Amino acid sequence: MGVIGKRTPLVDAVKKVTGVGVYTDDIKLPAMLTGKILRSPLPYARIAAIDTRRAESLPGVHAVIHGLESTSRFGVLPVSKDETAMAVGKVRYVGDAVAAVAAEDEETALEAMRLIEVRYEPFEPILNLEDGLAVTAEPIHDKTVGGTNVHKAVEQNFGDVDAAFAGSAHVVSHAFKFAPVTHAFTEPHCVVAHYDHDGRLTIWSATQVPHYVHRALAEVLEIDMHCIRVIRPMVGGAFGGKSDPFPHEMIAALLSRRTKRPVKILFDREEVFLTNHGRHPTKTSMTIGATADGMLTGLDLKALIDGGAWGSFGVVTTYYNGVLCMGPYRIPSFRYSGKRVYTNKPPSGAMRGHGAVNSRFAMEVIVDELAEKAGIDAIDFRLRNLLPPNTTTVNEFRITSNGTREGLLKVREASRWDEKFRKLPPGRGIGVACGFYISGSALPIHFTKLPQSTAHLKLDMDGGVTVHCMAAEIGQGSDTMLAQCVAEPLGIGLERIRVFSSDSDTDPIDLGSYSSRVTFMAGNAARRAAEEIRAQLIAAAARLTGHPAEGFVARDGRIEYAPNPAVGVTFMEALTEALAGKGALIARGAYAAAPPIGGKFKGAAAGLSPTYSFQAYVAEVEVDPETGFVRVDHIWAAHDCGRALNPTAVEGQVIGSIHMGLGQALRARSSR
Amino acid sequence: MILPPFQLHRPRSVEEALMIAGDCAGDFDFLGGGTDLLPNYKNRLNARGHVISLSRVADLSTPFRRLPGGGFALGAMARLRDIEADEGVRRNLPGILEAISQIATPLVRQSATLGGNLLLETRCYYFNQGYDWRASKGFCMKAEGDVCLVVPQKEICYAIYAGDAAPLLMALGATYTLVGFDGPREMAAADFYHPDGIRKSDLRKGEILTEVKIPAEAAVSASGYAKLRLRDSFDFPDMGVGASLRLEGARIEDLRVAVTAVSMTPLLFPEVTEPFRGLALTGELIEAVADGIQKRCQPVRNVMFPPQYRKSMVGVYTRRLLRRLGGVE
Repeated sequence: MGVIGKRTPLVDAVKKVTGVGVYTDDIKLPAMLTGKILRSPLPYARIAAIDTRRAESLPGVHAVIHGLESTSRFGVLPVSKDETAMAVGKVRYVGDAVAAVAAEDEETALEAMRLIEVRYEPFEPILNLEDGLAVTAEPIHDKTVGGTNVHKAVEQNFGDVDAAFAGSAHVVSHAFKFAPVTHAFTEPHCVVAHYDHDGRLTIWSATQVPHYVHRALAEVLEIDMHCIRVIRPMVGGAFGGKSDPFPHEMIAALLSRRTKRPVKILFDREEVFLTNHGRHPTKTSMTIGATADGMLTGLDLKALIDGGAWGSFGVVTTYYNGVLCMGPYRIPSFRYSGKRVYTNKPPSGAMRGHGAVNSRFAMEVIVDELAEKAGIDAIDFRLRNLLPPNTTTVNEFRITSNGTREGLLKVREASRWDEKFRKLPPGRGIGVACGFYISGSALPIHFTKLPQSTAHLKLDMDGGVTVHCMAAEIGQGSDTMLAQCVAEPLGIGLERIRVFSSDSDTDPIDLGSYSSRVTFMAGNAARRAAEEIRAQLIAAAARLTGHPAEGFVARDGRIEYAPNPAVGVTFMEALTEALAGKGALIARGAYAAAPPIGGKFKGAAAGLSPTYSFQAYVAEVEVDPETGFVRVDHIWAAHDCGRALNPTAVEGQVIGSIHMGLGQALRARSSR
Repeated sequence: MILPPFQLHRPRSVEEALMIAGDCAGDFDFLGGGTDLLPNYKNRLNARGHVISLSRVADLSTPFRRLPGGGFALGAMARLRDIEADEGVRRNLPGILEAISQIATPLVRQSATLGGNLLLETRCYYFNQGYDWRASKGFCMKAEGDVCLVVPQKEICYAIYAGDAAPLLMALGATYTLVGFDGPREMAAADFYHPDGIRKSDLRKGEILTEVKIPAEAAVSASGYAKLRLRDSFDFPDMGVGASLRLEGARIEDLRVAVTAVSMTPLLFPEVTEPFRGLALTGELIEAVADGIQKRCQPVRNVMFPPQYRKSMVGVYTRRLLRRLGGVE
C-alpha cells in the first residue's frame, strides 16, 4: 500500500518547530487596533450603570462598547443559547465581559479600561453546586428547571437496577468528587476581526469550530452568513477549550464594525483561565453490582455537575456523564440521574473525553473493588464482562468492533501483570483500567440535511492535488490525515498534496475538531472525493491503453492494469489525458450522518456514534507513604482506534492524553 | 501582560548605581535578572518609577572565587546557570549546587541571579495575582491594601519567604556583603532576614547586595537541599530544608539546618541542633532534630499545600536529608 498506515511526520510540523508557522497572534494588519475586555470583579451582580465617556475621550481610543451593543444570544448548542457578546443587565462570574475598548495600542486600551465606570448591585452568588438546586428569586439564567439554577436534568432507566442489586452477591457504592481542571493549551485565545468598508467581516481566530463561530457571528451581528469569512490560522492546542464560539470573537467583530479597522484581542494567561470551559467539577455517586462469579448486574449513577455561568456544551455533558460510562462492559441494567447546575463561576465546557472521563474513572475504581470482593484478578474480571463485538448496549448503542480484549491481553503481557499484581513490595502497585469513547456524534448539533463533513479536490496540469476541507487542524494532525486519505486512493505520494483547511470562503464545511470525529468523518469525505478523481484517471488510462477500466488500480504513481501491471500509464499521463478539453478536475466527497441507529427514548441520540474506540491501560506506580507523592513509573496503553492511518500521529495523541490524564489524576486543580 | 512605564537606568559600577538610587528619592528598584521583579511589575505589584539594572556592573557577576585566607565568594549578579556550571562550585559546594539546580527551570536560571534569589520578593496567593484578581478580592497590605488576608489583622504581613538558596547559605554560615553610601558592611545570612513579609530583611533602601561569602569549612562539610513542591519541573518551594553537617569520625562537629517557605523568613534552628554537637550521629538523634525543627515551624495557609501538611513535611524532609548527608541507613 501507499501512504496509509505509514509513519508520517505531520505536514506542518517543521513550520511549527522553526517558528515560521502563522498563528492568530502573528497576524498584523495595517491600521490594526488593540481590543481589551473589561471583566466583572464580582461573581453575581446587576449592572446598575455604565459610564464610558471618560474612556471614550482618552486620546488613542477608537471605540468603547458594552452589553447593549448586541443583545442577540448565541451558544454552541442551539438548545441552550444563553450567551451574549458582553453582559446584558447582569454579570454572572468574576471575569464576565462587561465592556470592551479598541485603542491604538495595548497601554492605551488598558488605560481606557480603567476609565470605564461601572456600578454594580451585588446578588448573593451561587458558588456551591448544591446551592444551585434550590428554587431562587434570581436564577442565573431565565431558562432553568423549575425556578432553580439547574440548567439540565437527565433521568434515564434501563432494566430494573434495584432488582439487579437485590440479586447480586456484591454491591459496591462510592461517592467521588472531581476538582475542576482546565486544558492549559500553549496558545492563549486570540482573534483578529476586520469588518471592512464593503460590509464584509473577516475573522481570524484560534478555534476548533470555525463553522460554529461563523453561525454565532451571523446571529450576534445580525448579518447573513455569506457576509462573514472565518479563517482559522494555526492553532496551538485546544483540547475542547476552543470549541465554543466565544464572546471575545463577538467583541472583536463588534469593535471592528464600529471602527472599520482590524481589531485584535489577545488573551493573557489569566484570561484563558477565566474563560475556562474546562472539565466540569463533578460530584458522582455510583453503585455497581456483580454476581458471585463476577458478572456485572447493574449500574446506578448520579452525577451533579458544575456548569459555571453558561450553557456551553453542558446539555451534552450532562448526558455524557451517564451514557458513556458503561464503556466496554456489558451491563444488563442502568439507571442514571444527572444534573448540571449553573453557578457564578467561570463556565465549564468540553475537555478531552468530554463528559465521560470522571464517570469512567469512578466506574473503573469500583470495578477493581468488585473484582477484589469476588476474588478475581482485575484483568480477568474485566475480560469476563466485555461487550461482545456487533452488539447493542442496554441503552441501544450499536457496537461494531471492540478490541478491548486484545488490548487487555496486550497490556497484561507487556506489563508482566501476572508477575506483579498483588506481588509487588509495599509502596508499589500495578493497576488496570479500560476506556471507551465515541468517534464523532452520529447526530450533528444543528438539525440540517447538510453532511457533517465535505471535501473538494482540484487537479490541474501542474500535477498537484488541492484539497479543500474546513476540518480544523489544531495540532492533532488533521491536515496530514486529509493528505493521506487523498493520496492513498490516487496511488501518489504526499508531496503532490496541498491541504487548505482554514478559510470558510474557499473550504467546504466541516463541523469542527471535537468529539474525536475528524479522522472518521472528514477522512471519509476526502477519501470519497479522491475515489471520484481516481475513476476519472482510470477512465483516461483505459482510453490511453485500450484496456477495460474495471481492471485498473492506482498505485506507486501509476495507473496500472492489475491483471498485467506492465500495461499502464503514469499519474501525470493519466491526468493530462483526463484534463484534455475539460480543464481542471473537480470532485466532491462528503460524510453524512448514518441513518438513525439508536433508541427512540428521550436523549437516545446522546452518545450515539457510527463507531467507538476502546482502550486498555496498565500503570505501575510507586507511592511514598510519608509524603503522599505518587510516582508513575510506567504506563502501558493499548488503543483500538481501528486502523492507525498514521502510527506516529496516533502515538502522539496517546502519549499526549496520558500526560493530560496524569495531570488530572495527580496534580491539577483549578482554583475557583 | 505588559510592564508599567518606568525609567530604566543601566549603571556600570556600584558607585554609579548608588548615585542614581540617591537621585530617585526612594522611587526605584534594583534589577538583577528580572525573573522575580518583572512578573510582579506586570501584575502591577508595587512598581516604581525607576528601575536600576545591575547587569552591566561587571564585578558583581563572578560566579565563584576563592578568598585569600580561605573561603569562597559568589557574585550576587552571577547567573544561577553560571554558578551551576562552575567547576569550583561543583567541587567545593555541592549543597549549593543542589539548591540552585532546583530553582525554577533551566531557562529561568539563564537569567536569574543569586542575589535575586536571596532577595526574592515574599510570596502569598493573595499577593501574587493580577491586578483585576486582587481588585476583585480586595487588596492586601503588601500591595495597595491595609490588611493581611491570610491572618486578618493589620500589624504584620504573612507572605512567605520562598528562596531556595538562602537556607543552605545560612546552614553553611555564609555572610552577605551589602554596599551602601556608607560603604560596605557584612552581615551573617542567619541575621539578615526579618519576620515580616513587607520589611523582609535588614537591607536598607539604596543598599546593594554585592557578594556572598562562604567559610572554608563548607568544602569539607556534607551539605544539601531538599525541596517540597507540587511540580518538580517548575515551582517555588512550598517548604524546603537546607542542611550542613560535618562529622569528626562518627561524632557531630557541626550541624546546622534551615527551613524555607514556611515563614516570612528562612529559619535557622541553632537551639535545636547545637545541643547535639559532639554526639554520635544516629537515626534517633536525627529523629530528635527533625522533630524539634518541625515543632518550631508554624506555616499558615498562603501557598498551594495546606499548612499542616507542610509542617509534617518539615520533619520528613529534614530526617531524610540528614540521613542522606550523614550516611545513616
